[in-house]
Amino acid sequence: MNAGAAALAVVQVVVMVVVSPLLVGLMRQTRARLEGRVGAGVLQPWRDLRKLAVKETLRAAGTGWVSAAGPLVLVASGLLVCALIPLVGAVPFVSVPDDLFVVVSVLLVGTVALALVGLDAGTAFGGMGSSRHMTIAALVEPTVLVAVYALSIPVGSSALSQIVRARIDDPASVASPVSLLALVALAIAVVAETGRLPVDNPSTHLELTMIHEAMVIESSGRDLGWLELGSWLRLGALLGLLGSLLVPWGVAQDASVAAVLIGVVTLVLKLAVLGCVLAAAEVFVAKLRLFRVPELLAGSFVLAFLAVTASYLVVQAG
Amino acid sequence: MAALVLLPVVACLGIAALAALSGHPLALRYAGILSAAVVLGGGLGLVAVVLGGTDPTAAGGLLRVDALSAFMLTVVGFVGLTATWGGLSAKMTGATGRVYPTLVCLFLGAMSLAVLADNLGVLWVAVEATTITTAFLVGHHGSRRALEAAWKYVVLGSVGVAIAFLGIVLLYAATLASGTPTLSWVVLDQANLPMDPSLVRVAAGLAVLGFATKAGLAPMHSWLPDAHSQAPAPVSGLMSGVLLSVAFYAILRVQAVVDPVIGPELMRGLLVTAGLLSLAVSAALIVRQRDLKRMLAYSSIEHMGLLALAAAVGGPLALTAALLHVLGHGLAKSSTFVVSGRILATEGTTTIAGIRSLFARRPGVAIPFVVGMAALLGFPPFSLFFSEVAIVVAGFQGGLGAVMVVAVVLILVLFAGLARHTATMLFAPARADDVLASAPPAGTDAPSSQPDRASHGPRLPLVIALGATAVVAFASGPLSTLLAQAAALLGGTR
Amino acid sequence: MSPVLFAELVAFCAGLLLLTGVLIVWRRDLRAIVRLLAVQGVALSVLVAVIGIDARVPELVAVALLVLALKGFVLPVVLVRVAGPAGPGRVETPTINTTASLILLALLTTLAYLVSQPLKAAGAGPAVAAVPIGIALVLFGFLVLASRRHAISQLVGFLMLDNGIAAVAFLIAGGLPLVVELGASLDILLVVLVLQVLTGRIRAEFGDLDLDDLSELRD
Repeated sequence: MNAGAAALAVVQVVVMVVVSPLLVGLMRQTRARLEGRVGAGVLQPWRDLRKLAVKETLRAAGTGWVSAAGPLVLVASGLLVCALIPLVGAVPFVSVPDDLFVVVSVLLVGTVALALVGLDAGTAFGGMGSSRHMTIAALVEPTVLVAVYALSIPVGSSALSQIVRARIDDPASVASPVSLLALVALAIAVVAETGRLPVDNPSTHLELTMIHEAMVIESSGRDLGWLELGSWLRLGALLGLLGSLLVPWGVAQDASVAAVLIGVVTLVLKLAVLGCVLAAAEVFVAKLRLFRVPELLAGSFVLAFLAVTASYLVVQAG
Repeated sequence: MAALVLLPVVACLGIAALAALSGHPLALRYAGILSAAVVLGGGLGLVAVVLGGTDPTAAGGLLRVDALSAFMLTVVGFVGLTATWGGLSAKMTGATGRVYPTLVCLFLGAMSLAVLADNLGVLWVAVEATTITTAFLVGHHGSRRALEAAWKYVVLGSVGVAIAFLGIVLLYAATLASGTPTLSWVVLDQANLPMDPSLVRVAAGLAVLGFATKAGLAPMHSWLPDAHSQAPAPVSGLMSGVLLSVAFYAILRVQAVVDPVIGPELMRGLLVTAGLLSLAVSAALIVRQRDLKRMLAYSSIEHMGLLALAAAVGGPLALTAALLHVLGHGLAKSSTFVVSGRILATEGTTTIAGIRSLFARRPGVAIPFVVGMAALLGFPPFSLFFSEVAIVVAGFQGGLGAVMVVAVVLILVLFAGLARHTATMLFAPARADDVLASAPPAGTDAPSSQPDRASHGPRLPLVIALGATAVVAFASGPLSTLLAQAAALLGGTR
Repeated sequence: MSPVLFAELVAFCAGLLLLTGVLIVWRRDLRAIVRLLAVQGVALSVLVAVIGIDARVPELVAVALLVLALKGFVLPVVLVRVAGPAGPGRVETPTINTTASLILLALLTTLAYLVSQPLKAAGAGPAVAAVPIGIALVLFGFLVLASRRHAISQLVGFLMLDNGIAAVAFLIAGGLPLVVELGASLDILLVVLVLQVLTGRIRAEFGDLDLDDLSELRD
């Protein structure tokens, strides 16, 4: 079981590294086409990474090891999250738990690393981006925890793979009100965590409106490449989690080749669909003013909380 | 027999319809008095029936008359008659002519329905109906303050009554779980249904909370000074005199039903808290009052607090005293409010500072005022003196001695405050530089050198009401039997 | 009706009641909260119908239609009339800001569950298990009543409180005797009509419906 799980994890990481930039490219392309532009093509993010890999890395005077290590920590946390979340397969590890709290903690490590990179250069915009980023993270992490916890109550375990397996086994639980409430809350949290509209505009060029872009504004070359890849990996992983919880069928339950292949294909499909839907929705939504963001996030927290209480209700009645 | 039970409610509805549809000035003028007279007559008739031994029912058991109901109906009728008859020539400064009498008749009908109901749900519907019918009566003057008072009254009253509804629902659920779903008071009281105590506890708490809002007990009293001060004087008399007591009656009924199930501690605790808080709030604020009607409203809060304490003590002495207090307070308060209406009509103001040397200038109005205030302050021979003493004595006997000591202190503070305000209005000489006294507004009588001995309204209802208050404490015979029976109904298992 | 289907339908209606309650506290646009109140009324009527069908009591289905007509249609229409020619998108600022109200909602839901513990004695089953949601709705109504200054918001809060109490009544007791139901519905309708007339007069006297203007009476 352990070898199978490890192999599955490697497959997941490789697939996500390949697919995440394509996912971002697809989302940008969808948005461009809907806005009446030609767009740069789905492969553009890979081309950007290739370009950044050979460019000279310039660091601002006064930055320390954080600017060098931060991007790497972000990418590492992204890779680890891709390994832990049941994307292609829901096979539990024996030694490394894919528990909900572990995943959220790893995400948080990446978040903090990114924030520190933004602060390290000592610029005003970097600091502004980092503080906004941490504010949103402080509101989003509890929501993600509570939303997935609501889904874990009927299962009895907070291991993500167990949750997905239980949902495959019991299709009715996917459409229950608890599940719907929790997934709506999780969707809002994912949008906020990955810096998409209406929380943050990933293609803005106005510095005062930036959150994520402001933190990477001083990075260049390989640093920027790592930072971009790390962010895309997180986006891919979280959307994949949403997809696995929303439509759990197709996720491999064992480590056989056929199941893994099916898992990869369905993962790519789910990511493509979710990405397009998200991008299309972004076209119609305006960015929220920053002081309204806590309202949105508090609302999603309440929905997640209600999902938890409702699931206790169901457990007691059932 | 059922016809006699239905008579008060049906008559009030009929007279209201008559007033609304015909619009005849005579009908409009006397509709309220007629309704109150019918209610009083019905009440006295039902008292006779009940003392004869039977408990008549009507409407398939939804209405039922026992000693307590008959007594309360008589109180409603008597106080209603005092307020409507005494307020007969009060100038109405509102716009519509038909709305006021119709609403007064409907109000009396709703209160009659409330005291005659056996089904707790019907009781609730009637209490909510009183809020609805009095909403426009409170806002009758149409001024900004009247609208504010009406809004607060309706919203707070409805919210409170909604909480009471939740309590009644939970009580029904408790009976459901025991196998006999019922909201009938007599069944709940006598059938000893096996109800779950925790559920009944929540139900009792909510029901008392809700009806206490309607009864004006602190801390849910904030609507009362506004509503009772802005309403026209006869309406204030009706509301202070009897509507608060009807809400208190609902609390008594709930208490009688839940105490055998959960023990008296919860209700006792709630009612002692509400009672002492009410006394404290009114004692604290009575000195600061600048308006006569608002002062009387706070006095109502005080008396409702006393009634709550009496209900908390329980037992035959306290409950009999409470019922006597309901009667005495109702008559005295409605008379005093009626006189305050006359003061407003003649002086043009109800501000305490603006009314000076009333005794010297307008003895026709001042004398009923003095007598009414004396009754409210608890002077003997008025029955309020005896009922208050009895409540305190019962409290000491029942183990609530410390509570009663605090209550007595607060009552003395209230006594001082009310007496001071009354003396200011009656005897304080008008100051030379007092603008209010020197230039009366247009439409009122110009000050003359002769004291104004006119009573500005019917004297007879005030004489009857205040006379009854003086005499009833000494009356024996049917009244004491009735009160004893009613108290026994409430405190049967203590 | 199969027990599983009954449980799922009750859970769905209760969830919808709760969701509309949350959204009413969240949204600040007056017309939006009146529409949400209408949706809540419809959800309540469906809940009553489901309980009636499961218990095979035709009276309850008739009561469900009454609830639908009253709370899903008549009362929201009256409220929209009260809002009157208010112009596009009347928004009000609540006394407690939205984020704090939403956090309070989470706390109130917990409180509702705690308070409902003694009510479990009324029986087992999915209907009684959903009672905390009715209590939560009552508490949400109190929150709206306390934290809003516009007359319509207070009316919506009061009606949400009443919806919660009705939900508890139907979930825990399968409804009350018909006489009481009819009387209570009539009372609610009359209260709202009375308040409609009062708001008309308040608007004529004060200019708008901001209840902070009503502050002349005090000690």
